[in-house]
Amino acid sequence: MERRTLLTLVVHGGSVLVGVVVGLPALIAGVFPALRRRRGESWRPVGQLSQFPVGQTQAAVIEHEQADESEPRPLARQGVYVWRPTDEEVVVFSRSCTDLGCPVIWDAGSQCFYCPCHGGIFARDGQRMAGPPDRELHRYVNRVREGVLEVDVYSVPPIA
Amino acid sequence: MPSKRMKAIADWALDRFAVKQIEKSLMDRRVAKGTWYHGDGAALFLLFNLLLITGAFLALSYTPSLEGAYPSVRYITDHQTLGWFVRGLHYWSAGLMVVMLVFHLFRQILLGGYKSPREGTWLIGVLLFFVVIATSLLGYVLRWDERAIYGLRVALNLMYRVPVIGESLVLVVQGGPHIGSQTLPRIYAVHVIFVPLLLLALVGYHMYLVVVHGITGPTERTRPVASSEEQRRLYKADAMSEERGEIFFPYTAAKSGAMAGVVFLVVVVLTLVLGPGRLYPEANLVEPSYPMEEWWWSWYSALAALLPPWLATTFYIGFPIVLFLLLVSLPFLDRSPRRGLRNRPVAVALVSLCVIVILSLSSLRARSPWTAYPRAEPPPVPDGVVLSPQAEQGRQLFAQYGCNSCHPIDGHGPQFAPDLAASRSILSHAEFRRYILNPPEDIAMPPYEGRLTDDELERIIDFVMHVQITRHR
Repeated sequence: MERRTLLTLVVHGGSVLVGVVVGLPALIAGVFPALRRRRGESWRPVGQLSQFPVGQTQAAVIEHEQADESEPRPLARQGVYVWRPTDEEVVVFSRSCTDLGCPVIWDAGSQCFYCPCHGGIFARDGQRMAGPPDRELHRYVNRVREGVLEVDVYSVPPIA
Repeated sequence: MPSKRMKAIADWALDRFAVKQIEKSLMDRRVAKGTWYHGDGAALFLLFNLLLITGAFLALSYTPSLEGAYPSVRYITDHQTLGWFVRGLHYWSAGLMVVMLVFHLFRQILLGGYKSPREGTWLIGVLLFFVVIATSLLGYVLRWDERAIYGLRVALNLMYRVPVIGESLVLVVQGGPHIGSQTLPRIYAVHVIFVPLLLLALVGYHMYLVVVHGITGPTERTRPVASSEEQRRLYKADAMSEERGEIFFPYTAAKSGAMAGVVFLVVVVLTLVLGPGRLYPEANLVEPSYPMEEWWWSWYSALAALLPPWLATTFYIGFPIVLFLLLVSLPFLDRSPRRGLRNRPVAVALVSLCVIVILSLSSLRARSPWTAYPRAEPPPVPDGVVLSPQAEQGRQLFAQYGCNSCHPIDGHGPQFAPDLAASRSILSHAEFRRYILNPPEDIAMPPYEGRLTDDELERIIDFVMHVQITRHR
C-alpha cells in the first residue's frame, strides 16, 4: 500500500472513529425516550364516581404524577370527558380530536363534541359525525376503586 | 507624519487579516447584472441575521421549563425595556422569512434558476426551505401559551401517523410518555442550537455556491442554454460586458440591499403597529380552547379541514414527502434549455396557480365555514322580524339545545350547517318535526328524539318558520 493511500485511510478512519465515539452515545441519549417504551399500566384518579350523574357527560381532570426520578415530570393536569350512559357503565374520553389533537369541547345542548380546528364533530358516544377525523374519540380504560373513578393513562396513545 | 503611519497600520491590518483577498474575490469581482427581484436572497439573509441576533437576546431571558417558559415570555414582553420590540422583530422576521422563502422558491422556478450548473445551489436551498419551515413551528411552541401547546400537539399527531416509527417519534419529541419537563428543553435546544448551527452551515454553503455559479444572468434569461459549459461562457461574457455586467460592491449589493431594506422596513412597521405575536393563556390541557395556527400555516390548515377521513393520513405523511421529492428532482425532471420568466409559460402557470391556491385557502381558513362550536347566546333576532312570545321561546330553546352550535340564523353564527333563515324551507311542518327528531343517517346532526318535549319542538319550529316566512315575504 502506498504511503498516501494509507494516510488517507488513517485520516478518514480516525474521523469516523471520533464521530462514532461522540455521535453515537449522544444520539442514543437523545432518542432515549423512544427506547424506553411505555409499559404496563399507570392508573390515575379522575374523581368520585358519584360526581358523574347517570345519563350525562361532564368535563373532568386527570392529575398526572411523576412516577419516580427516572421519569420526566408530566404536565400536571389534563382534561377529559366522562360519560355515564348507565349506572354501571362509565366512558372516559380523551379531549384530543382524533384528527390532529385539538381540544374537543362538549356541547350539552346538541349532545355533541366539537373540534375548534378543522370541523371534527363527534357524537355523545364518541363516534365520528363530521370532518377529517378518521376514527372515534380515544377512550381511556377505566375502573372504580372505593368509589373513585380511575383511568389507565397508558391505555390511549401518547398524543391523546 | 501621522497619516503616513496610519496608512502603514491599515496596510498591515489589511495584509495580515487577508482583507484584500476577500475584497478582490468577493467585492471587486464582476458579476452579471441582476434585477430588482434578485434582492430576495439578500432579504432572506438579512432576516436570518435579524433572527439570530434577536433570538440570541431573547434567549438571555427565556426559561425553557414547564413553569418558567410562559412567565419569562410575559416578562420579556411586558416588563423588559424594549423586550416587546425585540420579540416583535423576531416574530415578524420569522413570518416574513417564510413569505420570502416561498417567494425565493417560486422565483427560481419561474426563472429556471435550478438549471445547470446550479443544481447544487438548488438542492441546498431545498434543504434550507424544509429546515426553516420546521423551525417556524418550533419557535412559537416556545411561547408556551395555548396556541403553542396545541401547535405542538398537532405536530405530534402528524408524527404519530407515520407508520412503524410514529409512536417513537412522538416519544422522542415529547421526551417521555407525556408532554412534560423534558419537552420544552428539547424544543428549545433544537430551535436555538441545532437548527441555527445547521442553518449557518447551509446558508454559508448556499451563498458560496451563489458566488461560484452566479445568478441567472441577463443573456440566460433571454435565450436557451443547453449545457453548463455554455452557461458558464455566457455568464462570463455577461459579467465582463459593460451593459450586462457590473462590479458586485457597491452596485449589486446596493440593488439587492434595496429589497432587503424594504423587507426590513415592513418588519419594523409591523412590529411597531401590531406588536409581537399575541400571547394567549398559558399552555394547559384543561381549559376549553380555540387554538389556531400562526398565519403562515393557515393555507395548510384549510387543506387539512377539506380532507375526507380516508385521505387524511396519506395526505399528512405524503404531502411533505412528495413535496420534498418533487423539489429535489425538479432540476432533473425539467431538462428544457429555456430559462427566464418569458420563456417558461408552464412554470408561470404553475406558480400562479400555487399562489392563487395558497391565498384562497388562507382566506377560507379565516372564515373556517367547517367549524361548528357551542355558543351560549341565542342568535339575534333578524332585522325587521318581530317574534311572537312562542317564537321567542323557540329562539331561547334554539340555543339551549345547541341548534346554534351549527346553524346560523340570518348570517349570525357558525356557517357549518344551512342558514335556517336564508333557506326557504322545502320541508312541511310534519317533515320538519321528523327531521329534527330523527335526521337522515348521512347528515351530521344528532337526533332529538326523546330529548325535546312536544311543546319545545313546536316552539323551535315556530321560531325557525317565523323567521323564514318573514324573511321571504
